[in-house]
Amino acid sequence: MIVDFNLNEKDYMVDVPPDMRALDLIRDVLRLTGVKEGCGRGECGACTILVNGKPFNSCLLYAVKLNGKKVLTIEGLAQADGSLHPLQEAFLNEGAVQCGYCTPGMILSAKALLDENPSPEEEEIEEALSGNICRCTGYKKIVTAVKAGAKVMREKV
Amino acid sequence: MAGKKSTIIGKAQKKIDGIELVTGRARFTADLRFPQMVYGYARRAGIPAGKIKRIDKEHALGIPGVLDVITASDLPGPNLIGILPPFDQPLLAEEEVRYAGESIALVVAETRDIAKRASLSIVAEIEPLEPVLTVDEALKPEARKIHPHGNITFSRKLIKGDVEKGFERADIVVENTYETSFQEHAYLETEAVCVVPHGDGRITVYASCQSPFHIRGHIAVNLNVPASRVKVIQAYTGGSFGGKDDVATEMGCLAAIAAIRLNRAVMIVHDREESIIGSNLRHASRIHYKTGATKEGKIIAREVKILLDGGAYASESPFVTMKTLIHAAGPYNIENVFVESTAVYTNKTYCGAFRGFGVPQVTFASESQMDELASELEMDPLELRLKNALKAGDATATGQVFRKSVGLVKTIQVIDGKRKHVQSKKLQDEERWLYGTGFSCLLQGISNGAEGIDVVGASVQVSQDGSVLVGVGLSDMGQGSRTVFAQVAAEVLGVSMERVTVKQVDTESVHDSGPTIASRSTTVGGMAVLKAAQEVKNSLVKMAALMFNTREEKVVLKDGFASLYEDDSARIPLDKVATAAYWNGFPLMNLAFSKAPDANYDHQTHQGDIYIAYNFGTHMMRIRIDRYTGKVEVLKHIAAHDLGKAINPQGVEGQVEGASLMGFGLAHLEEVLYDRGIIQNPNFADYAVPGIKERLPTETVIIEDYNPTGPFGAKGIGEPPVAGAAAAFANAVADATGIRFLRLPITREVILEALRGKQ
Amino acid sequence: MNYFFPSTVEEALGLASGASNPKYIAGGTDLSLQIRDGVFSPDTLIDLTCIGELKGITETGRGISIGAATTLSEVADSEVLPSTLIRGARLVGSPQIRSLGTIGGNICNASPCGDTLTPIIALGAILRTVSPSGLREIPAEDFFLGPKKTILKEREILKEVIIEKQFLRGSSFFKKIGRRELQSISQVNLALWLVMDKPEGVVSRIRVAVGSCAPVPLRAVKTEAFLEGKKLSDDAIDRGVAVLLSEISPVTDVRASLSYRKLVAGTFFREAMKEARDDSEA
Repeated sequence: MIVDFNLNEKDYMVDVPPDMRALDLIRDVLRLTGVKEGCGRGECGACTILVNGKPFNSCLLYAVKLNGKKVLTIEGLAQADGSLHPLQEAFLNEGAVQCGYCTPGMILSAKALLDENPSPEEEEIEEALSGNICRCTGYKKIVTAVKAGAKVMREKV
Repeated sequence: MAGKKSTIIGKAQKKIDGIELVTGRARFTADLRFPQMVYGYARRAGIPAGKIKRIDKEHALGIPGVLDVITASDLPGPNLIGILPPFDQPLLAEEEVRYAGESIALVVAETRDIAKRASLSIVAEIEPLEPVLTVDEALKPEARKIHPHGNITFSRKLIKGDVEKGFERADIVVENTYETSFQEHAYLETEAVCVVPHGDGRITVYASCQSPFHIRGHIAVNLNVPASRVKVIQAYTGGSFGGKDDVATEMGCLAAIAAIRLNRAVMIVHDREESIIGSNLRHASRIHYKTGATKEGKIIAREVKILLDGGAYASESPFVTMKTLIHAAGPYNIENVFVESTAVYTNKTYCGAFRGFGVPQVTFASESQMDELASELEMDPLELRLKNALKAGDATATGQVFRKSVGLVKTIQVIDGKRKHVQSKKLQDEERWLYGTGFSCLLQGISNGAEGIDVVGASVQVSQDGSVLVGVGLSDMGQGSRTVFAQVAAEVLGVSMERVTVKQVDTESVHDSGPTIASRSTTVGGMAVLKAAQEVKNSLVKMAALMFNTREEKVVLKDGFASLYEDDSARIPLDKVATAAYWNGFPLMNLAFSKAPDANYDHQTHQGDIYIAYNFGTHMMRIRIDRYTGKVEVLKHIAAHDLGKAINPQGVEGQVEGASLMGFGLAHLEEVLYDRGIIQNPNFADYAVPGIKERLPTETVIIEDYNPTGPFGAKGIGEPPVAGAAAAFANAVADATGIRFLRLPITREVILEALRGKQ
Repeated sequence: MNYFFPSTVEEALGLASGASNPKYIAGGTDLSLQIRDGVFSPDTLIDLTCIGELKGITETGRGISIGAATTLSEVADSEVLPSTLIRGARLVGSPQIRSLGTIGGNICNASPCGDTLTPIIALGAILRTVSPSGLREIPAEDFFLGPKKTILKEREILKEVIIEKQFLRGSSFFKKIGRRELQSISQVNLALWLVMDKPEGVVSRIRVAVGSCAPVPLRAVKTEAFLEGKKLSDDAIDRGVAVLLSEISPVTDVRASLSYRKLVAGTFFREAMKEARDDSEA
């Protein structure tokens, strides 16, 4: 089946088997490996992508469902000139990254939140990141980083 | 040198490999692709114990896309991957199956999905044996032997003084039995290896791992080739925590054998279920403690008997056993100690290394008992701990005396100073919420210690442009050791962090430095980098002295320049110095070794010098419990650790916060559940690791009691907080409920049922 | 396998009748895994998420209609739905699950611990289905036959969830506990809807449903009958709890023990009733 969609501001038309996961389309066919598989069952959030701005587990999502959609992965987050998104900067500066495997999904979930709600309460951050498991950091610095990124994003507007 | 003015040592540093990680550019093993790459997937036994009668590959081989099915009889080498004596673990089970997750065959196919499906179509005729499922069953004289040498994996004693006489003199004796359950590492990246054959007998192995040299050695043996033909590259590794050692070796060997047979690149990636059922767990334990003290609260005798459920194979059980033995007495000065620790085989997933390495289990038990003793004595729990705390010059349970860097008392005092403020806060809704505070003290040995020789090789190379390349044989699995190594080199050579690159670990370019375990990277690895950097520095200083036409003692390397102590304005850029050194034939690369003094102890009593240092810590946790649901909220968590010197304070906080939450998981949430030898919750839905809402409000307090055996005085911090947080949580629950819980995890459910029982 | 995106219900039914082993799919958060695990091996997947009439929350003369393909996050963000359903939807899985998963999918998956199932039972929801043999209306409490089993026939589509006007008044509550706080599977959940007769403080109507305490989400009819017409004294509530505990029959499994489930179900019911009483007094 043909999937016609936009990935990180680029249009793609790909012929995929109907039972292919969005995760496999992005990783194996289009070779963007920033999206990670952590559990394959929608329980860890490592494979999070944004579809029309909302977070999805790409491991549960059939690729054919992306037809006509706008998809963002971690590779599409930095500017074309390579400068980092404020959330990427903040994760780096605040020490919110250890092994880094959860980081792409974590940052995308945070972005989905901040695009809708630029000044979230702590509870809203927890809620928004509740589908992303991190085993290294203890999450404290992740929350700090989301707040720091939000502040920069607000100032940029 | 690392004086107050350093802008590198002791300053928060960003991870040097952070940009790749936040942009998604870092390639983890499963992200790699090679021409003609194929996929392996293991068939697992599915029953905990049995005799393999027949494995029929034919059906699987007939499935389109299936290229090969490998069973034990196809293996070219000794079919052995055990990393420690008694070397009891096969690569693929041959005659007997000893745990349900054990691999019995490997299917190789064009895609992973085909390989996975085909693995299920292998007909395996396994005659079930009555599984031995508990430590008690295993220890019965009539028990079926899981291994020819019996059901005891390893057993040792520690004897200090005369514990019987100690108890005779005691005014008060407390005694109890504690248990902990199996914990899963649950790193976000599951295990993965990829082996690329080069057609000339050499292979390259990419692996998510923590001990690339283990993998190299085992592959060489199991392929029956010289180790020099096996190159192992540690890819970006998504967490390990002790877990990607044995299993990475198993997968590496299987993939290598398949790659040679097919002459194609072979990738094996575990799915989450395999990661839980097919790789080592933290040992479950049952620990009996008896503690005797004077009525003034001086502990004079401690007797501990530890049983560890090690599952089907030895893995690191022998070393975990020793670690529990050495740490069971706690961070206290006790005259008479007797500890016996035994690891036992059962027909369950094997247990091995897991952050803390046995210390969390004994610390939970020991610190629970400390509170029970305090309560018997009607003494404040911190006062009791302070009264017995190890100090510089005291003998540890092994009789080892440290003259320096025993900062336990300071950690207790700082917690004592902070608790008044925390506990004086107004309590809300006391009808519903039960409030409580728990404390724990701990020690954790740094370096391999009694587990064997501890040597790290590090290379430092300065290029003609003055940039620095560091290579260390230890792996960064996320903990930030590459950043620490860069800091050490940058500090010594007077360059900025941006000028330092740390190699990806590759067995062809770094020296075998053993496994990345035992919180040894910063301490032993950092020391090796320090030495190598100093050697190269000598060349640069010698060259600069010639250029300045002065004596070497007058030269200093700073901010990317060689300059003179007395005259900062006279300076030569480091690239000029390095280039000149090159043309003068001064060596600009050095390979240096840091070797911890050999552990020197009596093997019958474990008396002697074991570790090069201990990390000491005190934790305090303030919680409240919903008496109607058992729900727990952590209101405050303070973790004070003496880690000698914080080279990267932000990294230290990260380790303390992450390890503490892992300890909290062990104490409150996590448990691998078995039913008749089959794991019931091999997924993240039912094996609940802490989520963001469970995060601890950890406040890290860094105590720096200079350690002469580490770089700039540093000691490791990767493991110790696991034990501290777990034990403090248990004590906080006891304080809040008035009920002593003797088994971890203390879940909402366990708490609520106990509260009801109390009514 | 074939995969279709019909744009009308008729088209979907037609596709289904033309296939030998079809499955309807909405978000697929459960179904895609069941297919990967080999639980189902459909030859045809018929995706319902592009059918306009199955999407969205609309107010009708009868009450509120929720299209079966409405996502859980839309339900969770609704401003018109009763709070028990909003709360329940908000606690299904994670944000990622809720942006993909649908209320119809949650219902048709028929997990005994599904977090929108007890709310729709407590709200007396009517499930409208369509099949080649016509339309059916099924009370939510009759819809579930066992774990992962519903009353739906093959090729029948769940079209909408109707919450009738009579259930839009009153107040409603949802309580849940899992092993951890967020993104967790319910060990117990409980939904309560009730209407108080204000001057007297008497319960005039009440519906209670408990999840994870039986093979299906269970409506607690005896508890309802016991409390209907009663003044909500602490004593009446306590006796109501006792009735509730006598009519649920949880089991011990990998997620929780029988006794814990009972304890928490009792707590949740007591709390919800007290909150309802406080609400009506406020």
